[in-house]
Amino acid sequence: MQWNFQDIQEQARAETQTLDNLQALEAYRLKYLGKKGLVAAIFASLGSAPPDQKAAIGKGANDLRAIVEGLIDERSATIGAAKTVEERLDVSLPGTGESLGHVHILTQTMQEIIDVFEQMGFVTVDTPEIETEFHNFTGLNIPIDHPSRDAFDTFYLDAEDASARGRRLLLRSHTSPGQVRIMKQHQPPLAVIVPGRVYRPDAVDASHSFMFHQIEGLLVDEKVQFSELKGLLSEFCRRFFGPQVIMRFRPHFFPFTEPSAEVDINAEILGIQRKKWLEILGCGMVNPKVFEAVGYPKGKYKGFAFGMGVERMAMLKYGINDIRLFYENDVRFLKQF
Amino acid sequence: MKLSINWLKEYIDPKLTTDELIERLTMAGLEVEAVEAVGADTVLEIEVTPNRPDCLNILGLAREIGAITGKAVKNPRGIVHKPAILNDLVSIENKKDCSRYIGTLIREAQIKDAPVVMKQQLASLGLKAIHNAVDITNFVMMETGQPMHVFDYDKLAGGKIIVRRAQEGERIVTLDGVERKLDPSILVIADRHNPVAIAGIMGGLETQITAQTKNILLESAHFDMGLIRRACRTLGLRSDSSYRFERNVNFEGVLTGANRATDLLLSLTGGKLSGRGEVLSKVQGSAESIKVKISDIEALLGVEVTPLKVKTWLSKLGFKVTASSGNLMVTAPDNRADVEQDVDVIEEIARMIGFDRLPSKLPVIKMNNIPVDKRPREIKSQIRRVLTAGGLDETITHNMINTKALVKSGLADIPVLRIFNPLNQDQELMRPAILPSLMQVALTNINRGQKDLRLFEIGKIYSKEKEKEVLGILLTGRRAQDWRSSKKDLVDIFDLKGLLERLFQKVDIHATYENVDMPVFDPVAACSVSVDGKLMGVFGKLSRKVLNNWDIKNQDIYFARLHLEEIFSKPHRLIKYRAISEFPAIVRDVSLAVKKEITYQKVEEVCLQHGENVLRSVQFIEQYLGDKIQAGYKGLVFSCQYQSNDKTLREEEVSAVHERLVQALIQELSAIRR
Repeated sequence: MQWNFQDIQEQARAETQTLDNLQALEAYRLKYLGKKGLVAAIFASLGSAPPDQKAAIGKGANDLRAIVEGLIDERSATIGAAKTVEERLDVSLPGTGESLGHVHILTQTMQEIIDVFEQMGFVTVDTPEIETEFHNFTGLNIPIDHPSRDAFDTFYLDAEDASARGRRLLLRSHTSPGQVRIMKQHQPPLAVIVPGRVYRPDAVDASHSFMFHQIEGLLVDEKVQFSELKGLLSEFCRRFFGPQVIMRFRPHFFPFTEPSAEVDINAEILGIQRKKWLEILGCGMVNPKVFEAVGYPKGKYKGFAFGMGVERMAMLKYGINDIRLFYENDVRFLKQF
Repeated sequence: MKLSINWLKEYIDPKLTTDELIERLTMAGLEVEAVEAVGADTVLEIEVTPNRPDCLNILGLAREIGAITGKAVKNPRGIVHKPAILNDLVSIENKKDCSRYIGTLIREAQIKDAPVVMKQQLASLGLKAIHNAVDITNFVMMETGQPMHVFDYDKLAGGKIIVRRAQEGERIVTLDGVERKLDPSILVIADRHNPVAIAGIMGGLETQITAQTKNILLESAHFDMGLIRRACRTLGLRSDSSYRFERNVNFEGVLTGANRATDLLLSLTGGKLSGRGEVLSKVQGSAESIKVKISDIEALLGVEVTPLKVKTWLSKLGFKVTASSGNLMVTAPDNRADVEQDVDVIEEIARMIGFDRLPSKLPVIKMNNIPVDKRPREIKSQIRRVLTAGGLDETITHNMINTKALVKSGLADIPVLRIFNPLNQDQELMRPAILPSLMQVALTNINRGQKDLRLFEIGKIYSKEKEKEVLGILLTGRRAQDWRSSKKDLVDIFDLKGLLERLFQKVDIHATYENVDMPVFDPVAACSVSVDGKLMGVFGKLSRKVLNNWDIKNQDIYFARLHLEEIFSKPHRLIKYRAISEFPAIVRDVSLAVKKEITYQKVEEVCLQHGENVLRSVQFIEQYLGDKIQAGYKGLVFSCQYQSNDKTLREEEVSAVHERLVQALIQELSAIRR
């Protein structure tokens, strides 16, 4: 029997074009590779073939089998792919379960600031909001009837101070009373931060609130320098705002520090066009009168203190333009951070 | 304090552009807050801190600029006229109230407009020109910092000035036309009969200079700063004068100012100097000097200095300095009462060096810092982690609220801590509970169409003299939606309980739950939370009444509050590993009907009592409340897990224990098998 292998191969190729399902593919396989298929028939014809053609026929049959197997694999992949596409899940559908809630951006900002200082070795201490005149003012060298009190309008409470007859308790107007409390209780060395709410009777607008948050810092030891205050706060600003931050120290006045300074940061770096420099915190070397008020031995210790507004830091860092957003708690605000 | 650059140039030319001047002033501690063009002049608004009253005038600022720039300051014309001494003109009741008073009498003065230049200068600082006499007093105040006043001498009864406390019930009509009630806390200038001025604050209308005035009495004085400050507060009245007096004026400046104003009055009103009366409490001696050690300067600033350099810097600021062997004796100029201690002098040195030019290095922070209880902060962050993982958003609300919010929340009877001087009635008290704050947040969001809310706040509540930290949780609207199921579930009390359970698990607390009756809650769904028999919080569905009060119509609100102090104070328990059983567990399901009032908790307790050491846990599966069960009963399905640590339990063994357990339930709780 004569086999035209070229024609057979071409036909086998041509036939695959119409194979679009698994049954047709199986019929095709049987036709060529089945027990009664063409390849088997070719091998069967070997017995009666002239000896000089046997090799060619054997090779033709093997080649055909290889080609058909290849074609079947190819076709089967195509048919399988079509089936998979049909059954595939739309993985772009949303995942399920409770979506994550959000920690308030003020809590987050406060924690960021606390983390920076704790990494540097400071410890965090919480002191009360309800305070005495002594802790809030007198102990901090802010005498009664002195113009330095102008910066500290204060809410008084309908409650008497048990430690000072006739004086009312008040809501702390800054976190600095924490300094007095801590120093009254502990001897140096100390490096503490005091975060918390403070209160001032300010009319509410986009940048003022009668309640806001501050973080106070205090470091006291036998040898503490102004240059170290500069170094510490510069490092803090780099860690909080990023390494590109530019800051400046400007002389200022606080009754409880001497020398005193305010720190400005360059607003352009933060992408704020309104003003070149923005004040971010107040600081200074602890006034010896404060050490005296807390009962530290005269001349033994030096220290520095600083204080910053958490809302202000958050507003600058996150581009929030209205302080009222923090306390309104619209979930569209809360869920952004 | 406003600074007119044109006016400044009368005394100093800093040879700086405006921008440079602003920069130099700001970096010297005189922050320029605003710049304004007034005609051809430029006016700077400078924030003068309360310790620097010497900079509340142009000459003072000129001296400061002189110190910063090294340029010379030209003092104004200082012709000193020699007046006759009028012994009876001035008397002071108490020299503590008024340590110096100079009254200068000028006769035959002509009241007319001040020269144009002076009027312009005053206008540049925002002062209105009135007439030559008053304009001169304002001019001298702005130039030298000494506030002054002029009286129509002929209207002073008895032709005398008496500095005394006001008497109870006395009244005066001040220059602004307002009648003011006085009392003995207020210092006045009086004639023989009546107050004619409120000392240091404002003159009286009656004795003001008019176009008809012929004879002028010029006042230049030093009043007690605290007294003026209190009077301002009592009267609700402040002026450019009082602003300077309450920050303290220079004792020496009283005379300098009087001489300067006298000179101007004589030349601009054409009057004749009749005489002067002066009373003062002390003759100004040389000011006390302050000892400053070079080593202390270096120790505080972290910079090396030499006595010579320090002397140069301080001299520029008008300080007198003598140096000997590492010590400096420093005397501040008479207008720098703020410089009292060595650190004050060191600050001046730092300012002259420039804060930005001082070195910067990191401090050494010692390990032996003070002991701190870290538990409260740790627990609060654990709570935040658990609740945000549960999909809750944290709120931070104002803790000053009003009575109305309490009443609306069904908390009218709770004792409160009031604010003595509230900003307004909306913030009259410190919240005694957290519910009103969270309700306000819910209302704000619901009114904006955001009705599915899962909120919590960790905040303080207040009672007399005490503040306590609490946790508030508020859930309302739909539960997180699962698009694979068609159910649109609303949150209920078990969502809230689930959150609390996870929270307690995290902070290692075992709580018990009981039905509770409280007016805030719907009695059907209200629960108390106790730990070791102590009530720690409550939660439940808010009563319809509370929701109506808050005007919330179409949705239920679930609320929980928890006291945190008890959790903070619970000692931390270190978790020790318990061996995991190597042997398989056998599970048996139970389906029972029990009377409705029997709680699942009770059922579980009975099971655990009859577990015979092999019952590992009881797992709730479901509750059935339908009508396929006899009236007054509910169906409960749960599974019991049996396991031993020592051996593989045999089926028969477990079956026997389980049967005894079910029998116990039947006998003790009248349960019925289903």
